[in-house]
Amino acid sequence: MTVASEVKQTLASLKGVASTLETFALHEENEESNELLTRNTQRVKEVIDYFEKRLATMEFEEPEYKGF
Amino acid sequence: MPEWVITLLRSTGLFLLALFLVRLMGKRSTSSLTFFDFVTVIVIGVIIATLSLNLIPNGINGLVTLAVWTIFPALVYLLSIKYKAVRDIVHYKETVLINHGKILEDKLMKVRYTPEDLLSALRKKNIFNIDNVEFAVMEPTGDVSVLLKKGKQPITAKTTGMPVGMESVPQTVMLDGIIMDEALTAMGLNRQWLHTELEKVGVAPENVFIGQVDSGGQLYIDLFDDAVIVPAPKTKELAYVTLRKAQSDCEAYALATIDQDTKGMFANSAKILLEVANELEPWLKQ
Repeated sequence: MTVASEVKQTLASLKGVASTLETFALHEENEESNELLTRNTQRVKEVIDYFEKRLATMEFEEPEYKGF
Repeated sequence: MPEWVITLLRSTGLFLLALFLVRLMGKRSTSSLTFFDFVTVIVIGVIIATLSLNLIPNGINGLVTLAVWTIFPALVYLLSIKYKAVRDIVHYKETVLINHGKILEDKLMKVRYTPEDLLSALRKKNIFNIDNVEFAVMEPTGDVSVLLKKGKQPITAKTTGMPVGMESVPQTVMLDGIIMDEALTAMGLNRQWLHTELEKVGVAPENVFIGQVDSGGQLYIDLFDDAVIVPAPKTKELAYVTLRKAQSDCEAYALATIDQDTKGMFANSAKILLEVANELEPWLKQ
């Protein structure tokens, strides 16, 4: 596996976690837990952003690894 | 009318009267009867029994006695709710038997307790060593309540400094195969959602004995058919494990990257994900 595809895999699983956390936050009624979940979802999304930027650079430098 | 018919009618009438009187006495459970309750209950019971067997020559006398013994206690209860002085007389005060780890012999005498009685009461609370007791008190009902010494108390999440996830009350959304709409609505869910969740685990709604939804919206079910194994919801654990995996991936990328900026970015990501995983751990691992 190339580096790009590995990074893509991690990115996909992070996106999965972020949406799972979002679902939990939607259901959770306890304010403290809700805040905890929302805050941490934001942090995971921040990491997702880093990854997406990095992937864009990778694909620009090595276009042969573009796409899935 | 034959004698037995009269007895039957009288007993039935008194039975109904007794039911009504018991309601009047209020809702205290039999296990927490004070001595005064106990006396009242016995007197009422005996009067009703003698009346229904016609042992009292004049039935009116019996009914008057019954009235006195039900109205007075009811009155005393009402007064005792209102005035502390009455309460202390009727219900007794609690008696401290052990204070600061020392047995108070005079108090023991006052409640007519022998040392054996005290030891036996403590043993019922799973305490075999007097040394473990900081404080013990006899409740008005005669039960002994015990506070253990600090070091002998069971550990809690707080004493160990362990973080715990906040959890709201789970809602019971299905009972005996019937969907509880009220509970579903309280969670902000609907029947459609429930059917989808059941379909996911491949279970027919009629087969569900109890179904509960926890605060995170995960459905836990118990089936009538115990031969069917239902997978426990793993979403929370899965999210936690995925977070950990992503974190270690980031660390690996950081190691493999030569470019300093990118290396920093991956290291930073790993750090953030570690913090996220740590913060969510008590919530996700319940």
